[in-house]
Order: sequence, then structure tokens, then C-alpha cells
Amino acid sequence: MNLTRFRSWLKWMVKRQRLESEMETEVRFHIESRAADLVGKGLSQQEAMRQARIEFGGIESHKDAVRASVGVRWWGELGSDMRHGSRLLRKNPGFTAVAILTLALGVGANTAIFSIVNAVLLHSLPYRDPDRLVRVFFNEPGLGLRDVTFSKPELDDLQTRSGVFEDVTPIFEGSENLTGTKQPERVEGVNTSFTYFSMLGVLPQIGRLYGPQDFTPGFAPEAVISDGLWRRGYGADPDVLGRTIRIDGDPLTIIGVLPRGFRHPGPTTSGDAEVFAAGGFSGAPFPPPIRGNRILINGIGRLKPGVTREQAQARLTAMAAQLRHDFPTDYPPQAQWTIEIQPLQETLVGNVRPMLLVLLGAVILIVFIVSLNIANLLLARASGRQQEMAVRLALGATRDRIVRQMLTESVLLSLFGGAAGIATAVGTLGFILRFVPSNVPRLNEVRIDWVVLAFALLISMLTGLLFGLAPALHSAKGALSSAIREGGRGSGYSTRTGRLRDVLIVSELAFAVILMVGAGLLLRTLRDLLQENPGFNPTQVVTANTWLGVPNDPKTDPYLGIPGKAAFDRELLRRMKAIPGVELAAITSSLPSTNSNPNAVGGLATEGFAIEDRPVESSQDLLAERIRISPDYFKVMRATLLRGRSFTEGDEDGKQPVAIIDESTARQYWATRDPLGRRVRFGQDATEPWTTVVGIVKDIKSDGLDVDGVPHIFVSTYQDPSKQVSLVLRTTLPATLLEPQIRHEIQSIDPGLPVFNVVSMNDILDRSLALRRFSADLVGGFAGLAVLLAAIGIYGLLAYMVSQRSREIGIRMALGAGPGGVLKLFLQKGIVLAGLGIVAGMIVSASTSSLMGSLLYGVRPHDPAVFVIVPLLLFAVAVLASYLPARRATKVDPMIALREA
Amino acid sequence: MGKAIDLLQGTLDMLILKAVSLGPLHGYGVLLRIQQISGEQLEIQQGSLYPALYRLEHQGWIASEWGESDNNRKAKFYSLTAAGRRQLHSETEKWNRMASLIANILRTTPEEI
Repeated sequence: MNLTRFRSWLKWMVKRQRLESEMETEVRFHIESRAADLVGKGLSQQEAMRQARIEFGGIESHKDAVRASVGVRWWGELGSDMRHGSRLLRKNPGFTAVAILTLALGVGANTAIFSIVNAVLLHSLPYRDPDRLVRVFFNEPGLGLRDVTFSKPELDDLQTRSGVFEDVTPIFEGSENLTGTKQPERVEGVNTSFTYFSMLGVLPQIGRLYGPQDFTPGFAPEAVISDGLWRRGYGADPDVLGRTIRIDGDPLTIIGVLPRGFRHPGPTTSGDAEVFAAGGFSGAPFPPPIRGNRILINGIGRLKPGVTREQAQARLTAMAAQLRHDFPTDYPPQAQWTIEIQPLQETLVGNVRPMLLVLLGAVILIVFIVSLNIANLLLARASGRQQEMAVRLALGATRDRIVRQMLTESVLLSLFGGAAGIATAVGTLGFILRFVPSNVPRLNEVRIDWVVLAFALLISMLTGLLFGLAPALHSAKGALSSAIREGGRGSGYSTRTGRLRDVLIVSELAFAVILMVGAGLLLRTLRDLLQENPGFNPTQVVTANTWLGVPNDPKTDPYLGIPGKAAFDRELLRRMKAIPGVELAAITSSLPSTNSNPNAVGGLATEGFAIEDRPVESSQDLLAERIRISPDYFKVMRATLLRGRSFTEGDEDGKQPVAIIDESTARQYWATRDPLGRRVRFGQDATEPWTTVVGIVKDIKSDGLDVDGVPHIFVSTYQDPSKQVSLVLRTTLPATLLEPQIRHEIQSIDPGLPVFNVVSMNDILDRSLALRRFSADLVGGFAGLAVLLAAIGIYGLLAYMVSQRSREIGIRMALGAGPGGVLKLFLQKGIVLAGLGIVAGMIVSASTSSLMGSLLYGVRPHDPAVFVIVPLLLFAVAVLASYLPARRATKVDPMIALREA
Repeated sequence: MGKAIDLLQGTLDMLILKAVSLGPLHGYGVLLRIQQISGEQLEIQQGSLYPALYRLEHQGWIASEWGESDNNRKAKFYSLTAAGRRQLHSETEKWNRMASLIANILRTTPEEI
């Protein structure tokens, strides 16, 4: 359509009414002029008008041709199709309600899931030029290590020498004690370089944010707080600026408040970061800035404008090679130390991508199944309308006109369903999001925006086309004469309609199989995780946490050094055991299945260690996670000590340092020798004393139920203290009942200590599986729905066949066919269809289930149990769904059937 | 009227363009002019003029304007646009080529093959 024609078309669309009346005037003028001429030739006025009209021809059909010639006729037809369609929908309220309701559910579920996918995976991060933000990893592939710590000189190399970064900052995340408010509170704190905010491009809500001008080599005395803390702790008081906030005992001056929507781009499991402070990482209390002092973690950087990620990566790889060459002692060649960058968004959301995509896939499958079901219903109706269509064809309707009419009806239906679905999603999104585990990042960004709306509209249109096309094409192809002659009655189950409906049923079953296999694999994973022995007994264990704080100035630390901390631990345990109902109490630095952010300060991360008398390539090629525990930890947890001894009260400062290893450690590092009595040492400091292995414990799933084989080394908290103090109490009392007493006892020791997350061990394990449970439940629910829809589909098809063929059945029975034969006739049909669908679905599942590999644990993508149970179950359902209508066929009374025909 | 010739398919547009090229006309005027030039030899279904007129206007080859007819009535007058003039020119040329070609073919005698 060129511009002239488009303009003319648009004119017609906009000024339709005026143009229509002008057309009327023009035609009238023509006819009257002609009549006047005819009167001039001697005809009477009346006769002349009649003659002129006859000569003109059918006025309406000419007008219609005019509309067609300017391309607006279809518009009018669309209008009449829509009127016709909605009339039909109103005439069948039952069908319409079912179709719209199932569509609303399908589209609503799609909209909700897609809005999550959109916010989490598709949206750019909410920072300035988010595509230039990258996470920087330091790797030692030669030792199999990724994301190792780095030093201040290495940070400087990134910032200046590499030439690819505008800004780079390390990020320390972790618990901090906020005191000075009513109740000491544990908050999520973040320490960064001074360029953090300028790198992200954030502006303050009030006050100012720290920047390069604030630089100081140690910790800066200023803090920036989140909008949440400002409202919660200070009632959104604008006078908060200049006030002092005590963080881990350090007095910091609040200089600014972040805007409401700001979120720190880090792990979100423990809540939003609320206190931000900066440091130079080169002066006290930091160690001297030399290459060997690798104290920094979590590098995040902003690439310079115009530098692509590939260019930056090439430059960093080259720089790392140069550094390895220049400082061979700092970078032993076998470690192959190198630098890698990844899009920041990828590192933040990469872990939930597989789950979200599986959910999206499941929800799309379910909407397909829904539309196949509706297609089936429409097809049945279309067969009933064969006569109507045949008459229309006979009266001159073109086939594409009929297809268009049928499609208009279906699309109308899908739009109603889609609108209802979108409304459902918009109305219930907040409710739905409450069921999404909070460890899915960026959930606060989930919105129904235009992308989501476009997707919802696309899905509803697609489903409309999908379920509308089959009956539409079917109607248009109808054989004219036979349909009219038969009068749409007694024609039986025509082969062509039949084949189309068979295809729909088979695909529906195939989709159901795919969903069921997915759900089966996820549910089996979940069941395995729930049933597997985690190496301890979580029932009747209540946990609680406190954080002793790490003041910037060590001199102000009341728990500095081993003796101070050990005294605290002993006092804490004494008070806990004195609480009535608490049988046993112990301390650990890391509760099982809580380690959501290993890089956090106090998080459970692998550390390098050395084994005495064993040649090592580098300090970091032996790796284990170090957990500090008090003597009764294994007893409280009911873990199994395999050999040697537990810790005792005597394993304290000044005595021989001792360690207990788990089976994984023993297997990995002492495959051929007895580990008992061997000595190990954490870190690189050769002046530290060796620690002797005194026991071996059965593996405890400290990193999560779905993490296996990580080596752990337990040490005595009296010899190797940690600021993260987690209590485990063996008790029959519930956590809620114990919480006030635990809080009271801890704060009797030190009123400045926060007490947080007082929950039972079972709740912790439960929460750690929340994401898996959520996806398994959701996909399982979809699978159940799919089975139901497939069963309804088969049932409906056979029931329809039976009613259409009642005359044939009657004849057969009159001629002596037994009920068994009739039953077989229909049962066979259902079984063949089910078989085909199941086989097709199994083939697709088998070739795609490995895509789910990363979501499975302890179950292979081709798990034989799932691949046997799913087809059997679905087959049984299909047989049942076929049996009911088939049995009805045997009840056909030959006399009635024949008489009616 | 028995000896009148039915219009060849697709030639109505061309005739309309020719008719209005001689001066602006209303719909009925177009009919009269074509009949007049053809010496009343052509049979035109009167109503079918209008889809053709609207199509030509839609294409931008003719433009319309409301004005007054000879008997002082409101009527819509069509006139040729510049694009229409070019179109008429090329249609005429095509028609002439076609006509002489067909004429040549029909004149062919057995001796000429």
C-alpha cells in the first residue's frame, strides 16, 4: 500500500460516516439525473425513476463494491463477523464460559510467569548503562579454582593498568550489628570502594553519596543508608543526615539516603543491603597493599564506553599473562592465574534461569493443551454447523470469507479469554508472588508492563489461531452437496473431521506426557532430597544466630582474640543449657543449608590448606570448608562420629590445635593413608601452628541438601573463633517459645548483640528447598491439569463418536453384534490414540529432558521410573476415559436408534 | 440497444480516465460522455461506474470535488490528476500496442505462415 492509497484508506476509516452519506448522495444524483433525462424522452416521472433504478443495478451491491475498492469492506465484514460471533458465544453460555475460563487460567498463568521471567531474566539491571557492568573473576584454572580473592595492587591493575574499566570496586557483603536503636538489629551491610555509587550511576534521595573525593586508605567514617532503613529506623526523618549510626560498634555519620527502588547488585537471599560504607583497602586496619595479601572479593566493574566485552576480556587476559611474567613468585605458573569478566546480570540471575525457563515452558505447554481442548470443542460445533456453512457456500460466500468468519469467532473467544487472563494476572500477581521463594532475585522488579502485556496478547492471539484454524479450515472445505443433502444429520463420524480431531487428541496427550515427565523428574528430585539422610537429625533442633561484629578499629573489639571469644562462647552455652527444656546446646560458625552467599563475610567458602609432609603446588590446591564448632555440636545434631574423638572443653587456646574431618575430606585427601594424627594448616602463613586431625565424622550436608562431596574440616571454636555465632539447641520446645529466652540470655551477656533467625532446623531445610518445591509443585499442578484435560479430550471425542454413530451401532447390534464387539470398537479407538500420543510425548521428552539436568538432583534426566510410570499412568487414565463412552455405546437400543434415524 | 457492445474487461478504468481528461465530470456525466464519444455503441452497467471511480480516486489518478451541476444540484466532480495523466498515457500506449498486435494476428492469412 503506497502513501496515497494509505491516506485514502485512512480517510475512509476515519470519516467513514460522512463518506458513506456522500456516496449515497452521489448515487441518488445519478439516478435522478438519469430519470430527468428519461422524462425528457417522454416517460412519466414514475416510470422514469423505475427505469433509472433498473439501469443502475443493485445499489447496495455497487456500494459494497465501492467499499471493497478502497479496502474498507473487510472492516465492515469484521464488524458483522464479530456481531455474529458474539451472538453465537452468547447462545452457548456453557461452552463459552468453559472456554473463557480455561483460557483465562492459561493466559493468566502465562502472564504471571512471564512477568517474572521478564523482570528477572530479560530486563536490564536498574542501573545506568547496565550493559557495561561486569563481574570480575580471578581464576586459577591450573588448580581448578574460580573466583579466588585478590589484592589491592591487583585492584589497581584493573583500575589503571588494564585501561578497560571506568570504575572497579570490590564488594564485601555481610551481617552487621546496628546498635543504638531500641533493639540491636542485624542488618545486611556492604563495604566497597569509593567509586561504587558513581559506577552504578545512583543519585541520593537526600544528602549525598560517598565518592572518590572522600578517599581514605582505611575505612571512611561515613555511611549511606537504604530507603528501607531510613523509614524503619528513622521514620523517614530528613534530619537523619549528620546523625551517627553504630555499625559493629563503629560510629559512622549518615551522609545520605538511597532512593527507594535502589538495590545492591548482589545476592539477595539475606535481604536487601541497608548500610553502605567505603574503604581504601590500603591503610590500617587493612594489611599492607602487597600482591600476596589477597583480601578482596567480589570485583564489580564498569567498562569504559565503546569497549566491548570481548575487547576487555582480551585486554585482561593479556594483562594477566604480563603480570604472571612480571611477578612469578606471586603467580606460580602452574596456577595459570587469570582474569575473567561476565555480564553482571548473568552472574546475578544465572542460577535461577533454568528453573524459570522450565516454568515458562510448562505454562506455555498448558496453554497449548487448553487451546487444543477448545479446538476440539469448536470442531465438534463446526461439524454441527456443516449445513450452515454449506448453505453459505452455495449462496456464494467465498471459502476464505468463511475461514475468516470462523477465525473471527475463535479470536474473539481468545481475546475474551486473554483479557480475563490478563485481568486475573494483574489482580493476583501480588498474591502469586508471595508463593515465589524470596531467593529468586529481582522479585521486587516484577511488574505487568507493556512487554508482559504484549506477550499475553500474543499468547491469546496464538491460542485463538491455534484452536480456531482447525475448525475454520475444516468448515471451508466442507463438501457442499452432501452436507446440504444430509441435512447435517446421520452423517456419522466423517473421516476428515475424525482425522483432525484424532490429531488434536494425540497432540494433547503428547503435551501432557511432556509435562508429566518434567513434573515427575522434579518431584522425584524433591522426594529424594527430603528422604535422604543429611548426615544429621534435624528434628527437635532449634537454631538461633548472633553476630559479634567486626569493628573497623580492632582496639574497640570486645571479642578480640581467642580468649575473649572463647569466654563468650562458654558463657553463652552455659546460659543456653540452663534454659528449661533445652537438653543440649552447641555453637557452629555455619548452620547446614543456610550458606546462600559463600562470599559474604562469615560465609562458608572453600579455603586452601596444607597437609604436613606433603609436597604442594600451591597453598590453594587443597581445599576445604572450615567450620568452627563447640564440643557438643555433633551430639546436638546427632551426627555420626566414625573414628577418633569429638572435641572436648579442653581443646582450647594454648593446647594442641585439633581438627575433625568429614568422610569427603578423608576420601579426597587421604585416599590411601590413615588421616588420624596427620596435621593440616589453613592459609599461607607458615608461622601458624599445625592442627592435628583427631576424628572422622560422617558427611553432614552443610552446604545444602543438594550439594555433595564438599570436603569439610571442623575445628574447635575455642581455638579458632568466628564472629558468626549460630546456636543449635536440642529441645522439644518450638522455636517461637524459646526465642524470647534465647534473646534475653544473649543480651544479658552483651546488650548490643542482635538475635536473629530463631527457627527450627527443619524449617531451615524446608526453606532451602523452597525454590525446588515451588517449581515441582507448579509443574506438578500443570501436569495434573494436563492429564485432566487430556482425559476430558478423549472422553469428549469418543462420546461424540458414539452419539454420531448410534444408528450404525444399532444396525450392528440388530445384525447380531454383541456388546463386547461394540465396546471393543470404541475402546480400541481410544487406546490407539492414547498410544500414539504417549509414544510421541515420550520421544519428545526423552530428547529434551536433559535440558532440565541442572534442576535435578539424584535423578537422571532419563530416570527409568519416571519414564515407566508416566506412560502407564496416562494410559490408564486414557483407557478409563475411553471406557465410559464405549460402555454407553453398548447400551444403545437398536430399536430406538433405528427408528430415530 | 441490441447492437451495443459489452465493455471489455478492464477497459472501464481507461475510458473513465479518458472521459475526465477532457474536463471535470460528475459520475453521471462520465457515463454520458463515454456514451457520447462511443456513439452510443457501448453498454455500461451504470452502477459499476462507481466502484471504478472510487478505485481510481483511491489510486490517486483522479481527484474529486463537490460542486454544482448544470441544473444547480450538488454533485461530485471528478478530474484527472497528474498521476492520472501519466497513467492514461501509459494505458493508451499499452492498449494501442496490444490492439495492433491482436489485429495483426487476426489478419494473418494461411499464405503468410
